[in-house]
Amino acid sequence: MSNTAQTQPATVVKPRSSKRVSTFPLHLMLIPGVIVTLIYAYGPMFGLVMAFQKYVPTKGFLGSKWVGFKNFEYIFHMPDFYQVLWNTLIIAVLKIIFGLLVPLILALLLQEVAKNWIVRTIQTSVFLPYFLSWTILAGVIFEIFSLNGPVNSLIASMGSDPIMFMGDKNWFRGILIGSDVWKGMGYNMILYLAAIIGINPNLYEAAEIDGAGRWKQVIHITLPGIAPIIVLLATLSLGSVLNAGFEQILLLYNPLVYESADVIDTLVYRMGLIDQQFSPAAAFGLFKSVVSVVLVSISYYMAYRFTNYRIF
Amino acid sequence: MNKRTFKQLIVGTLLLSLALSVIAGCASKPDASSDTGSKSIASDIGTDPMWKYPETVKVTQVIGHGKAEDPKTPSDITPATNAYYQKLKEMLNIEVEYLWMVPSDQYEQKFSLAVASGDLPDLMTIGFEQYEKFKDEDQLEDLSEAYEKYASPDLKAYVEADGGKTLDMFREDGKLLALPSFEDPFMSAQIMWLRKDWLEKLNLEVPKTLEDLEKVAEAFTTQDPDGNGKADTYGLALHKDLISWGFDARGFFYTMGAYPKAWIKDKDGNLVAGETKPETKAALERLNQWYSKGLLDKEFAFKDMDKVVEDIVAGKVGIAFGEWWYPGWPLNMNRDQDPNADWVAAVLPSFNGKEGETLVPSQRMSRIYVVRKGYEHPEAVIKMANFYTEMQKKEYAEDVKAENGYVYNWYDPRVYNPYDFEQAFTEVNAALDNKQEEIDSVNPTSVQAFKSSKKYLSGEGDNSDWGIYMRSIAKDGGWGITRTLRDKAYVVDEFYGTATETMTEKKTSLNKMTDELFTKIIMGSTPSSEFDKYVESWKKLGGQDITDEVNEWYKNK
Repeated sequence: MSNTAQTQPATVVKPRSSKRVSTFPLHLMLIPGVIVTLIYAYGPMFGLVMAFQKYVPTKGFLGSKWVGFKNFEYIFHMPDFYQVLWNTLIIAVLKIIFGLLVPLILALLLQEVAKNWIVRTIQTSVFLPYFLSWTILAGVIFEIFSLNGPVNSLIASMGSDPIMFMGDKNWFRGILIGSDVWKGMGYNMILYLAAIIGINPNLYEAAEIDGAGRWKQVIHITLPGIAPIIVLLATLSLGSVLNAGFEQILLLYNPLVYESADVIDTLVYRMGLIDQQFSPAAAFGLFKSVVSVVLVSISYYMAYRFTNYRIF
Repeated sequence: MNKRTFKQLIVGTLLLSLALSVIAGCASKPDASSDTGSKSIASDIGTDPMWKYPETVKVTQVIGHGKAEDPKTPSDITPATNAYYQKLKEMLNIEVEYLWMVPSDQYEQKFSLAVASGDLPDLMTIGFEQYEKFKDEDQLEDLSEAYEKYASPDLKAYVEADGGKTLDMFREDGKLLALPSFEDPFMSAQIMWLRKDWLEKLNLEVPKTLEDLEKVAEAFTTQDPDGNGKADTYGLALHKDLISWGFDARGFFYTMGAYPKAWIKDKDGNLVAGETKPETKAALERLNQWYSKGLLDKEFAFKDMDKVVEDIVAGKVGIAFGEWWYPGWPLNMNRDQDPNADWVAAVLPSFNGKEGETLVPSQRMSRIYVVRKGYEHPEAVIKMANFYTEMQKKEYAEDVKAENGYVYNWYDPRVYNPYDFEQAFTEVNAALDNKQEEIDSVNPTSVQAFKSSKKYLSGEGDNSDWGIYMRSIAKDGGWGITRTLRDKAYVVDEFYGTATETMTEKKTSLNKMTDELFTKIIMGSTPSSEFDKYVESWKKLGGQDITDEVNEWYKNK
């Protein structure tokens, strides 16, 4: 159901035949990983046949009736289909865009701070929420945005009416995207910072001699210097465009915001595990995976074209 | 090593792990298909209810469990070390093994997964829908012989307390496919609970009409009933699941003659879905008025039941619709927090001169026990039920106590007398009226309720004694009020079949639409005129088909 986007560039290894013998023992170490992948990632794929069946659990895959593409027809005709598809896309795309931009700006700002201990403190505190689970954060978010919470107290002190953030379909998406960016920004920020450190300091010295100020240096040296990593992160995240963040939404949403926040994964969850409609839920999951595979392929191709990044 | 052997090695590894994963996927499937004919039970098994097996018989089970209900239970007791099972092993030589245990809120999910993987335990506790599925898939062992021959007279008396009507629902082609434990359907009837001390403080009467109730709710919201000088109380308890299990809006709907998510008879004798009727619209409009007046929690739509219970316990809310059992939980906890807190039960108020009529389900199935097809000892399951009934008798009372590690809510199968609360009410009230010091009853519920009532009435009891007295015995308490509903007009939820085909297919979408619209109308973000459009789309998106199927079922019932 889920496909994790790879955000870390894998090492490019291209051994030629003469070297293969000497690295063979190292290859053997892959076996446990391969086996685990086969059992847990490829094994369950057999379960996908239920998307083409009227699956009855106790009859199993062999006993259940084949129905061809009927389950797919069913999900495409579901009244919610286009709504959840649109919600998924818009939430995921905005999460990707802001998830790339915000850490970039943070990294650039942090780069300008001279005092090392300030940089370290900020780095650590920005990274911290990355390690908290959504279950905990959901409780915190509910408190912060409740009618008696700090945000509404602030609004009230400015003389405006309180806003019901968690029940307003327009605000809710913003909260989803904002909290997701806030939680994940530390990770990308570190990647950007690492890339910035890799830029040759001579370039900055030369620019300074030529009379470029701080701002000009950022525009003409830092940004072009880390452009490959930005493009890389952007293209790789394309594969997760149908993952709008299941756990986060499930914990935060309610009927009032279904209209703007019910996504594919939450619908599949309600269909499959709450209502036990195994086959349509599997069909929906398969549909999502197929779209994701296409997008991952495109993004892989683009990553190769623009940044020469390749795995195979 | 040359290129070819390397290739072979890789291919070999891949094939091997593929084979492994296939084996891993299939190994756990029980081989149920191979034996189809029902075999008879070995004749050398004693029919005495407490006959002990010479060799240990193993029964596998699964459990989704909450806390042990009695706080006196030793803290190191887990479902696996439950003293009931130790005793069962000792007395009948039946050993229970749990395939897995999870907290109860994860049970449904975990059980769905177990069903999907075909990894079923020998003895299962299921609901009616799951039962119908298992039945259609021919997954259930025939219990008829086991039940006829091995069920103790006590057990049979309980199971057939309604003349065998419920048991017959589980007979199929001469086979008995389940052991049901059912309850008096009136245990689901809706009444109303109010903070008595708040009413007295504000000089208000127990409301008789909806208009009165609204005034009470307003007073509870605006007149600072808890006297702490802060506007931190509100009228009516409510949470995001409007029609669910407790502290919800069912009682409010029923008061106004609306029965959403129930199938009720119209004047032509056909079944209609209550959520599409104009009464439901009127009730939603009324709730919206209450909401804008601040009589409901502004944020009820984000709160689950636990949160509302917190508000009740903390003394933030003064009215709750619901069932008879509230004093046993959580109203007693409210009294722990605030010794002055007191609650009173009342029937649903009247509306437009018509008395509020509660909905009563056609039947109230508490647990359905089934045995996996192919299990060798179906009679052992019946014997386990015998054993539980036996353990409730007086001669074991000294031993069977929470202090000794007996946790009843972790034991299955347990079958109760469906009318034990009614029996307890009459027996205990008679004994109290006679000023008896002891009660002579075979009904364990009566014995326990008598003890607590005595304690509470003598002024020694704690709040859990108050809870039991108010819940089961007091004439103006939960059961005392609920039992009077039998003699009044009420509405029956007529549909109790398994989900129809379209219901299974469209339920997710229709429920989403209903919950979304209802919540929005109450909170005022959608005008109630949208309701008519909703009814149209509800019918178009499968609701009409479902109605037809349900009526078809009703005619052939």
